Amino acid sequence: MKKNELILDEMGSKEIVFCVSNMIIGFGILTLPNTIVRTTVSSDGWISILLGGGIAILIAIIIGKLIERFPGKNVHAIMSEVFNRTFAHFFSLCFALYYFLFVSYQIRSVSTITKLYLFDNTPEEFLGFTFLLVLAYGVAGSSIALVRMNVLFFPIVISVLSLLLLFNIGGFNVHRLLPMFKSDFTGIMKATKETTFSYLGVEIMLFYNIYVLKKQKVVSSMVRGILLPILFYFVTFIFVVVIFGTLVVENTLYPLAELAKEVEVPGEIFERFEFFFFVIWLISLFCTNVMALDVTLIAIGAVFQRLKKTTLLVILLPSIFIAGLLPSSIKELRIFSSWISYLGIIIAWILPALILLVIKLKEGMKHE
Amino acid sequence: MDKSSTEQLLSTDLHKNLEALNDMLHDASDLTTKVFLVGGSNYKVAVMSIEGLADQLLVKKQVINPIQHNEKLYVDSLRDPMQALHEIENRMISLQIPTRSNSLIELHGFLLSGQAILLLEGVAEALIIHSQDGPARSIEEPQTEALVRGPRIGFTESIATNISLLRRQIKEAGLVIKPYTVGKRSKQALCLLYIKDITNSKLVAEVERRLQSINLDYIPESGTIEQWIEDSSISPFPQILNTERPDKVSAALLQGKVAIMLDGTPFVLILPFTYISLIHSPEDYYERWFIGSLIRLLRFVAVTFTLFLPALYIAILSFHPSMIPFKLVFSIAAAREGVPFPAVIEAVLMEVTLELLREAGIRLPKPIGQTIGIVGGLVIGDAAVQAGIVSPVMVIIVALTAISSFAIPSYSAGIAFRMLRFVTMIAASFLGLYGIVMVFVMICMHLIRLQSFGVPYLAPIAPSFKKDWLDMFIRAPVSVLTSRPSFMKTKDKYRTKKR
Repeated sequence: MKKNELILDEMGSKEIVFCVSNMIIGFGILTLPNTIVRTTVSSDGWISILLGGGIAILIAIIIGKLIERFPGKNVHAIMSEVFNRTFAHFFSLCFALYYFLFVSYQIRSVSTITKLYLFDNTPEEFLGFTFLLVLAYGVAGSSIALVRMNVLFFPIVISVLSLLLLFNIGGFNVHRLLPMFKSDFTGIMKATKETTFSYLGVEIMLFYNIYVLKKQKVVSSMVRGILLPILFYFVTFIFVVVIFGTLVVENTLYPLAELAKEVEVPGEIFERFEFFFFVIWLISLFCTNVMALDVTLIAIGAVFQRLKKTTLLVILLPSIFIAGLLPSSIKELRIFSSWISYLGIIIAWILPALILLVIKLKEGMKHE
Repeated sequence: MDKSSTEQLLSTDLHKNLEALNDMLHDASDLTTKVFLVGGSNYKVAVMSIEGLADQLLVKKQVINPIQHNEKLYVDSLRDPMQALHEIENRMISLQIPTRSNSLIELHGFLLSGQAILLLEGVAEALIIHSQDGPARSIEEPQTEALVRGPRIGFTESIATNISLLRRQIKEAGLVIKPYTVGKRSKQALCLLYIKDITNSKLVAEVERRLQSINLDYIPESGTIEQWIEDSSISPFPQILNTERPDKVSAALLQGKVAIMLDGTPFVLILPFTYISLIHSPEDYYERWFIGSLIRLLRFVAVTFTLFLPALYIAILSFHPSMIPFKLVFSIAAAREGVPFPAVIEAVLMEVTLELLREAGIRLPKPIGQTIGIVGGLVIGDAAVQAGIVSPVMVIIVALTAISSFAIPSYSAGIAFRMLRFVTMIAASFLGLYGIVMVFVMICMHLIRLQSFGVPYLAPIAPSFKKDWLDMFIRAPVSVLTSRPSFMKTKDKYRTKKR
């Protein structure tokens, strides 16, 4: 059936940019201002956002350089080629574990926040379960569909989020930014750790590299894909601080959602804008999670090649759901999230960097 | 049919042949046979045709008369009957003779497709005489696709007429019209049309492959072909467009698409079909570009309304009344006072009533159909409100949804959205806005995965082809639209000459 396709399954640079951006902007943007303000003084958090972004760009360049050498291959194949199959299996499984936990954490958060803002009586578990089912539907198709999905949804997400910020311009008070440069080094570094976590997502390209067939500007596209979230985090942070002041931000769990509440839609067709914000935010979260789940499946599938996708889904979905239910409070959920982030940094960022180093060393040896 | 009959051939005995043919058609009452002598000789000739399929008057004037009244004795001078047949073919019959045949099976096939056949005593071969004729409708304005501005020509049931209508619009040698015969028993004519130096050959190959896979004994309408060759039969969305308008077909052919014509139906299939064509109508190109663009945006709004308006009503009323202004909530609540049902039941009840009215209106003869509209729309709607079964706001919502769904140019695509509207309504009743978002995401995922003949359904959007955005939600000025859709991967990329 698929012999005579007019359009090839491949990622152009636009797809890469949107894919990376969409993967990064997810749950983090909701809580980020709050976590940053906790460890920094006044409005100095923007330094951390930029620093974290710098680190992410560095990683993006490393990952980009790595996958650029192996067009059309995912990280499992790359590993098998550079090292051996056992190591590739091990790495893939670690990666799968990371994204597995990531998805379960996010599903839990989605249901928590949706319940908080949209529903009074509907049980959280039911909300999470629905989200999971939709995710399952999403991954049931081909991965290229998910890649294309970003091109469809990302512009919508970005435009509504921009609209949200634009509508808030009325509440601007620039004096709330002052005083500047008051934080100490450790505070900024602590905040940088948090912001770095929220930049996790570039690593998706390690697996979606199978669709990058042409040797195009992978690195620059990936970097552009990170620049968008950096800009977005930066602007959001400034807006939140300028409108609420640091004291309020420090005590609100989800400052961006509160920002959405402040909006007054011109013409007063809608009483509250936050519903739109939630709709868009849910779509954005769906994108992030569906890709993460898809990569989990690809990673496990690369190791157990005989396993069917549906069987795998049947096994995985309940376990994801249960893992998401494990943390019992928001505090525990935060701890859960930071573990996942550490895991992600180690597996998805540091390891690929090491691989690239090994490849470079091997090449160096050959030359001598 | 048994296999031995496929090898049956004509003999030299005229009466045996006539009997054999008569037998094969089971002494059909509409089979006319005229046996006579060639003028000025003793050669016996028989002309057979089927009444109503072949033009009897034409056969009489152009075949029987000249042979019977022959006085020049060409034939008598020739002893060989084979030569005589040759003389008849070349000197007497003025009609087109496409071929000769000696197989009984073939001959009765020709008879059934409306040709006359001529048999001569002593020759084991028959002449096939082109004399097709049949009842035909004159060219009228298409019923299903009326336009304010644009040609008033519509396709008819005759494939020959339809092809000629197209030829008149595209006078190009590159227009390929490839004939097929489909239907194991009905043997209907089918044509595959494309423009050779524009259409991607992969697309043509794929369409041909699927056409050849058709294995049916009878094809009542091009819709059957559509269902046989479409990519996904589970999807609610149509993957092939049907139209009665020649201008629509020729525009599509020039975009690098492929058309399929079936004899016996005015509906021509155009493929591949993409989502964005749902909101396109030929009129967009005929009107000035501002108007065309605005109307397209309006249709997009119509699609959104059809899908989400009743669902939003349910979601807002049952879960998020704080979403809309307080005063509005108050007036809706006041209007709903006394309505015994929850919003979902109210909405489903009214939407189902509406679908019933629409269906009833289509089936009934035109004058009564209008009455149904008045009785259904006005009387039932008003009475339901008066009786306190539904609220007036609900009636407004239902009416708005109905009008929106009529604004979608493609009828079958409109049905897709009407079906999905019920899904969003149910989702909204369980999970409010959250449910609507989840359904929206699922619809989007489905659309992204869907393909129509190797072209992604959401083609210029995802995967995105920025160049084609000029002719997507808006319709850029004609002078700007210089290239063919790039997602069609056409051979000839530009519509205008490149300077």
